[in-house]
Amino acid sequence: MASYIQARFFNRQVEDSCPANRLMISKRRTRNAHAACAQLLPMENTPNSGKLDLNKPMMGTQQVPINVPAIISGKFGRFGGKFVPETLIACLKELEAEFNWALEDPEFQNELQTALRDYIGRETPLYFAERLTNHYKNEDGHGPEIYLKREDLNHCGAHKLNNAIAQAMIAKRMGLKSVVAATGAGQHGVATAAACAKLSLECTVFMGISDMEKQNSNVLLMKLLGAEVKGVEGNFKDASSQAIREWVGNLQTTYYLTGTVVGPHPCPSMVREFQSVIGKETRRQAMEKWGGKPDVLLACVGSGSNALGIFHEFIGDEDVRLIGVEAAGFGLDSGKHAATLARGEVGVYHGAMSYLLQDEEGQIIGPHSIGVGLEYPGVSPELSFLKDTGRAEFYSATDEEAVEAYKRLSRIEGIIPSLEASHALAFLEKLCPTLPSGTKVIVNCSGRGDKDAATVLNYQQYSM
Amino acid sequence: MWQRPDSYGRFGKFGGKYVPETLMHALSELESTFNSLKDDPDFQNELAGILKDYVGRETPLYFSERLTEHYRHPNGEGPHIYLKREDLNHTGAHKINNAIGQVFLAKHLGKKRIIAETGAGQHGVATATVCARFGLQCLTYMGAQDMERQALNVFRMRLLDAEVRAVHSRTATLKDATSEAIRDWVANVETTHYILGSVAGPYPYPMMVREKEAMEKWGGKPDVLVACVGEGSDAMGLFDDFIKDKDVRLIGVEAAGLGLDSGKHAATLTKGEVGVLHGTMSYLLQDDDGQIIEPHSISAGLDYPGVGPEHSFLKEKGRAEYYSVTDEEALEAFKRLSRLEGIIPALETSHALAYLEKLSPTLANGTKVVVNCSGRGDKDVQTAIKYLKV
Repeated sequence: MASYIQARFFNRQVEDSCPANRLMISKRRTRNAHAACAQLLPMENTPNSGKLDLNKPMMGTQQVPINVPAIISGKFGRFGGKFVPETLIACLKELEAEFNWALEDPEFQNELQTALRDYIGRETPLYFAERLTNHYKNEDGHGPEIYLKREDLNHCGAHKLNNAIAQAMIAKRMGLKSVVAATGAGQHGVATAAACAKLSLECTVFMGISDMEKQNSNVLLMKLLGAEVKGVEGNFKDASSQAIREWVGNLQTTYYLTGTVVGPHPCPSMVREFQSVIGKETRRQAMEKWGGKPDVLLACVGSGSNALGIFHEFIGDEDVRLIGVEAAGFGLDSGKHAATLARGEVGVYHGAMSYLLQDEEGQIIGPHSIGVGLEYPGVSPELSFLKDTGRAEFYSATDEEAVEAYKRLSRIEGIIPSLEASHALAFLEKLCPTLPSGTKVIVNCSGRGDKDAATVLNYQQYSM
Repeated sequence: MWQRPDSYGRFGKFGGKYVPETLMHALSELESTFNSLKDDPDFQNELAGILKDYVGRETPLYFSERLTEHYRHPNGEGPHIYLKREDLNHTGAHKINNAIGQVFLAKHLGKKRIIAETGAGQHGVATATVCARFGLQCLTYMGAQDMERQALNVFRMRLLDAEVRAVHSRTATLKDATSEAIRDWVANVETTHYILGSVAGPYPYPMMVREKEAMEKWGGKPDVLVACVGEGSDAMGLFDDFIKDKDVRLIGVEAAGLGLDSGKHAATLTKGEVGVLHGTMSYLLQDDDGQIIEPHSISAGLDYPGVGPEHSFLKEKGRAEYYSVTDEEALEAFKRLSRLEGIIPALETSHALAYLEKLSPTLANGTKVVVNCSGRGDKDVQTAIKYLKV
């Protein structure tokens, strides 16, 4: 304990003595990504690194990765890392130390468990979707069994609060008084605003102006919860950049509450760790329900937080198929989509190396999806790694397919899913015919779709 | 003394079955099916499974630390405030529990068609939701005026594959929609089950949820239960288990709208008189000619001129206390919970929360108060923003 306090104090001194730099967010280079990486941070388990850890997978092999926590290094093969200026390194180190301490601290864990149970309403059910299952049965009456992990039932209506409450608790532990965040669809903004209200922290949320119009109901919710909502030209990626700028300008008093599994280490790992409650519950529930594991896990992928939330627990289980579904927008060839893993190339963005949608000059391509929460040009470094090693499969669904799936689940199960989750549900159309009878498929129903009713209504009217 | 209704469906002089002849058989059928099924373990298991995996029960009993702090006196004393989180149910309110129970029953009766009436759309959405889940045909009657005001709820019902039929007669609002629905039921009683808001129908079906979290949390009972009262099913859901516990205070909070003396309110138990409405004898807001007085409340769910007969009975016996709060007080409470706990309550719920302002100063230190957080307030955001100028 004493040494921790000393380390914290030392970090603050180091930080105070560094000149304030303007944060350069974008270091997006495609072709020389490896070289850039080698210059800034040592890469592990590549032929060029001095170290070889037999417990960690080699790049480019088909070996299934063992579940070694990347909390230590922040690297997932060649992906991840901490591509940030000096000023932030000290801060990120402090955050990492705080995070590791929180994980081990029984008092923190108790408080978090209570919040998850009584405030958020966990555990969320694993629901057998009988009518959806029947819908996918063939003429012989055979087909997979479809289950929904009901993250839509969480307080605030999505999986986002699992992470927001834990991080807000960390911010409070660190003695910080205010929180900044960036939000796409608004779910993370609402979750952050709620968590801050509960813990009496000031809250500022940055949101793209076009997103604010599309998800106006969420903007109103944030304001009611006492948050200040600041509009930024552009969408989520621009709001993220602005939020980070705000954070860097106020490091002494402000906590940057990241909503998803991108950004410099330890952000992706923190968020993944807090979201992994989804997968942990799923394992236990599957065991209770049918005495086994799921065969297939299906989740939508924007930046990857809900997907990793359910996947992570099962990464070491080779017999569990992990399928992520991205947003194909108007189609993968239209240039208007957000299918980063399908069409992106490796580069550095928002502090981490990962796949991203970039043009020949390394400029970010603006993504599009009817599911605003999927509209991000980057993706989780850990998912990039799972793709490269072949551990997880990634496909995509168009806006049209997502809207169909939205309407289908509403009609058949009386559950209105978010447009984001609808992408995962849409993929069932292609997936189910290929599965043997009785295959246990769990779809992460990552959010409820009340916020999207107006969008779908407009989409229908517009397309008629 | 505090028994379920007698064989006539009465609570003292209240309740009963004031319905046309054609419906008597349907109601008897419903009651006898209910009575036979409630002790059937297979039925109960199936129902429990749906409530758990589909609706998301059991809902937590949440200790509201900041709200408790808010009501603390300068000397550090004050009651402990807990919220029963019915806002976390699928579709965001207690209403679905009632809808599930009744649709389940209807399915067992072999009915294929469900009808309902709805004002603001919440009950309609809950009914449509459950019908979609069970693959039953759903028709909701809604006043044409209400349909215009609640276009999004209409869209949601249609998404859920329900038919929403506009009612144009008279004031084209809830009361008229109810009358239309009853007419439909009379004509189609063989094939159709009518899910009322819960005023009629076999009691205590809406109250099937018998959770005893209070006992677990602090090894005792709550001291005070507070719930908003419109037609009253949500409140009964909370009160039911404790009616026989005389040491548990039951407090219902009605809508005082623009004030009890303004004539624009929905405080049936405070200002109403006994009469018959929608099949049951209870307190209701009526003028000297026995005509229903149009109620008013900022919250659609409390905007009802009648009240459940059991509430009337509990009031008369002095077992439960009934107060009221204005639109303004409710809006303040709406904002207060949002800001202090990050939970946006329904405007209906906000009435119960508003009453804490008057109640808390009178309570002994450490009194355990459980407020029924009957629904979430996402649906009320537009209304609230207008008034609160956020």
